[in-house]
Amino acid sequence: MITRFITEVNTKFNPFSMRSRATRLFLSSLPPKARQQGMAITTSLLPRTSTEASSLKIKFKDGKEMSLDGEKLGIKGIIEEVDRHSRALQKQADLTDG
Amino acid sequence: MPPRLNCSAGSGLGRALQRATTAQRSATVLPQSAKVILSRQYASAAVPPIPLGSLRLPDDYIPPTQPPSARRPDQRKAQLLRSYTALLRSTPLMLFFQHNNLTAVEWSAIRRELRAALAAVPAPIVGPDGGVPVDISSSIELQVLRTRIFNVAFKIVEFFDGEAQTGKSNAYTHDLSGTAYKAITEATIDETTTYGQINPLLVGPVAAVTFPSVSPAHLAAVLKILAPSAPAFPAPTRRKNPGYYDASAQSGLQKLILVGGRVEDKVFDHAGVKWVGCIEGGLEGLRAQLVAMLQSAGLGLSTALEGHSKGLYLALESRRTQMEEEADGGKKEAGAGAEETSA
Repeated sequence: MITRFITEVNTKFNPFSMRSRATRLFLSSLPPKARQQGMAITTSLLPRTSTEASSLKIKFKDGKEMSLDGEKLGIKGIIEEVDRHSRALQKQADLTDG
Repeated sequence: MPPRLNCSAGSGLGRALQRATTAQRSATVLPQSAKVILSRQYASAAVPPIPLGSLRLPDDYIPPTQPPSARRPDQRKAQLLRSYTALLRSTPLMLFFQHNNLTAVEWSAIRRELRAALAAVPAPIVGPDGGVPVDISSSIELQVLRTRIFNVAFKIVEFFDGEAQTGKSNAYTHDLSGTAYKAITEATIDETTTYGQINPLLVGPVAAVTFPSVSPAHLAAVLKILAPSAPAFPAPTRRKNPGYYDASAQSGLQKLILVGGRVEDKVFDHAGVKWVGCIEGGLEGLRAQLVAMLQSAGLGLSTALEGHSKGLYLALESRRTQMEEEADGGKKEAGAGAEETSA
């Protein structure tokens, strides 16, 4: 997954719900140095009894905001969506740099 | 083409018996009937009574389809499974953390801070049930779990009872046995079971802090380090504990998320674990609170019950004194009247 262009990740999930699985896996797929490289990651846990759906909001360097539904997309779908936008940004960055 | 040997059942049996006896190198004398069969190979109808002990496979027999593992015993998954089941059976309090790509430096920094915080917890003065106090702080550990094997181990601990299998024939009691496998595959997993509740937690990278006994003081110390929250479990101050504000420790702590806990076979979420950590004085403290409550309730009850009888007693007593006074007064009055009349 290309994480260079992500500036902010906001997650909220209930760990006792199987539906929060993809959101949790997304958090674990961020690189170890993400915070040092300027990515702001905030996680809030919902109480066990809450039935609120888990939420995952991502902001990119160009200002685009994504709100992904982990339950519907799954971890593969989330990564695909994030990469789709990141690849466009990568292409732009390559053109301006080179 | 060589002539085919006539291989009747009797001769086969006799040969098997011979092999078994030579393999065991036992000095058991062959039964008479077996000798007869050896001499007369065509008599296959009569099956002789064969001692079952002599047909046993040797103890070090290795079936050709199941050769022994080439891995070292301490690195086998079977061993890991057994260690997890032992851990689950012996650990009443476990906290589960999701760890997102921590580096080795961060792990070591977190473990260092955890050890320091646990060492600062005062040792218990009296042990459980008034015995010798045991300081558990050295055996509280933060370890990364192999989630899948831990999951299976959790199922085995919950759904397989080895003790119940001892009476049955051809059933093994250990955790790696086919009986255990059968038990966990046949088990119905729903929300009422502990496993059913904890299963969603064991997703992705999971680490656990294991406590050998339920000690809220130690739990509070661990929560202050690993999952600080302002009023009840504040993080140590920068002046008191500068190592906690190390770059490696802080970046590691940001990647740890407390997802839940297991206390005495019950599953608790974030808030529940904090509630357990808030119990002052641990189980002894709770008992003391209960005793105090019962005592004060008893005192109130006894005074309430006493009150009526006391009131009755006082009323009767006052009435008695009053009547006595009246009687005395009457006498006096009567006496005075008599004097008056006599005068």
